[in-house]
Amino acid sequence: MSTSMLPSRSKTSVLVFLIPPLLLYGVAVLLPILQSLFLSFFDWDGITSLRFVGFDNYARMFVGDDVFWTAFSNSLGYLAICLILQLGGALVVASLLISLRRGREVVKTLYLLPAVISTVAIAFLFQRIYSLEPVGLLNQLLAWVGLEGLQQAWLSDVDTVLAAVSIPEGWRFTGLYMLIIYAALLAVPQELEEAARLDGANWWQVFTKIRFPYIRPVWITTTIMASTYALRGFDIPYLLTNGGPGQASELLTTYMYKTAFTHTDYGYASTISVFIVVECLIAVGLIILLLRRKADA
Amino acid sequence: MTHIRIRAAAVAAAASVALVLSGCSGGAPAATGEIDPEGEIQPREISWLLSRPADGGVITAMQQIADEYAEEHPGFSLNLITTPDRPSYIQKYETLAAANKLPELFDTDATPFAKKLADQGRMIDAEALLKDLDLYDDYRPAALNYQRFDDGSLYMIPFEFQLEFFWYNTALFEEAGVEVPESLDDFPAMCEALRASGVTPIALDGQDQWPLERYMAYHPFRTAGPEYVQELKRGDAAFADPDGEAAVEWLHSLGEAGCFAEGFSSTGYADAQALFTSGKAAVYNIGTWELANLATENLDAGVRDDIDYFTLPMTPDAVTAENEYVTPSGIGMAVSAKTFDPLVRDFLAFALERYPEVYATTGALSPTSNVETTIPDNATPLYQRAVEQADGVGEKIAMPWDTQLDPASNTRLQQELTLLVQGEITPDEFIETMDATIARNGPAAFE
Repeated sequence: MSTSMLPSRSKTSVLVFLIPPLLLYGVAVLLPILQSLFLSFFDWDGITSLRFVGFDNYARMFVGDDVFWTAFSNSLGYLAICLILQLGGALVVASLLISLRRGREVVKTLYLLPAVISTVAIAFLFQRIYSLEPVGLLNQLLAWVGLEGLQQAWLSDVDTVLAAVSIPEGWRFTGLYMLIIYAALLAVPQELEEAARLDGANWWQVFTKIRFPYIRPVWITTTIMASTYALRGFDIPYLLTNGGPGQASELLTTYMYKTAFTHTDYGYASTISVFIVVECLIAVGLIILLLRRKADA
Repeated sequence: MTHIRIRAAAVAAAASVALVLSGCSGGAPAATGEIDPEGEIQPREISWLLSRPADGGVITAMQQIADEYAEEHPGFSLNLITTPDRPSYIQKYETLAAANKLPELFDTDATPFAKKLADQGRMIDAEALLKDLDLYDDYRPAALNYQRFDDGSLYMIPFEFQLEFFWYNTALFEEAGVEVPESLDDFPAMCEALRASGVTPIALDGQDQWPLERYMAYHPFRTAGPEYVQELKRGDAAFADPDGEAAVEWLHSLGEAGCFAEGFSSTGYADAQALFTSGKAAVYNIGTWELANLATENLDAGVRDDIDYFTLPMTPDAVTAENEYVTPSGIGMAVSAKTFDPLVRDFLAFALERYPEVYATTGALSPTSNVETTIPDNATPLYQRAVEQADGVGEKIAMPWDTQLDPASNTRLQQELTLLVQGEITPDEFIETMDATIARNGPAAFE
């Protein structure tokens, strides 16, 4: 290990630099999670005293609450759409970018732009895009290509609303992941690719046998980032539809927020947040397991 | 693993921690609830956490009054902290209440949460205070009644008085060959005729949920009176009862008749109003707080002469009178018991005495009946009529349900209502879901 080669004085300095962020992390992340765990065993409205209820909140969540399960499956749908757009989109754009000879910087900037726009602005933007009355951009485009029949109020239809609230989130961060993957692709040694091509490898073989294995570590990191971001996605669905119509775009996060701050049911909201924490940990575990196993195979 | 940051969970959890740390005691603060505390008036800054439009009449009037008071009491100032968006405001206020950090004055409706605060002695008894200040009799009884809890106690002071009307476009009605509906049951036929003539029958701000919830309140208010929702919220009445069922069927029929714009659930407040004021929608249900936009020259000249209004129609067997409908006095102002001292009392005595006069000059209806509203110069004749209508309202008030139900049932009701009107669920499914939801949450909230 390289650290063992450091003189002891450096070890101290490493500690000095590592402990403050660790403490901060403990106070800002771990402590609240433990507090949520604690609160999840209580019934509490914020103004009267805590009442211990044991596992009642968990029982209610798993068997007595239909909205919870709707929100959970919506969250998975949201995750899937975000991942396809963010990772799939990012990989495609990054691969195209590599083959671009000129104007790379412009394309990169354009793709990254949405990531720096404020969420509220994006929500307003998409509200207009999806609007039917007055006719928004999407419905207008459909009319121009002669598909008036497909025109609809995308945010009011229970069948389209989940996709409609997921797409802005996916679109927004595609550029960010594209940049990371692009950087990784740049590091793929050109000699290897050229040698493979000389041996008669086609584009697909170059990609699957050389490029992708090379960027796998970066791919794991981006997948973890995108998944955890999507699992705790909140702002755009909250701003666009507030979970509606009905519970058609309710995510676990928006449901937890409403339970806590609208229903003042802090105990049950903590139970849902504990579930979100566990869900994120499981997701990350699965990703690492799957991608590592593939690498070993 | 340190890369994993579960921020959404953490943010909520952090908020919970803040609550735990600051509000763990949970109990009532040491307040006497004395309405005439002893001691000297020591000017300082006091705060009012409120949920009203930043440039609206209430804030403008109170700011002016506070400035006048400060002239005689150097060192005094009134810090107005407004969050006009109601759901955001409620979250803010409830979180501050949980942290025991409510300021001297704060806005609240007569909700179950506010009742808990009152029961814990954290709010000053407004009826006792107003009587002690000799102002109680100035108030319109309807304005005070709107603020009362179900047991009749009064902890909030009204600052407005509003009447909610159905505004309609006479030209569009004529074109479609429809009359002003006499009964709520005439609504579906009215909508169908208007649809057939190519206009949106009713403009509705579906995004904010409460406008559609008003429609839920109308039918049972006519057929069963204001008691229906009071019983319903406790689980003592049900949607499965004949009155409830009739209301649900009525709403379903509004949806089927295409009363609201397609995609109404994502239409915002301004967009809904624009549909009406641009002549694209025939009916718009809103209160007198919009008089400045609907009954003055601010209104688009193209529709200005065609706008009129009617009040909540009856039902054939109505138990409430024609002059009884939604007449809210707005969100009320509560006085925190913890920080109530001679200064707060003295300022309120000065402000509440002065308020009606200052407020009425802005063209708004005062919650008291001792002043006359100034009609703006650019008003249309409708303005005067609406203002006069205020003196003729009856005793019973159709309470907005969002201030009545417990929050969990209310959220679910708003969601299911959208689905019902969009035709995604049947009336029976709606009744089953809502009765189960209220049975689970209602009795516990009002025990």
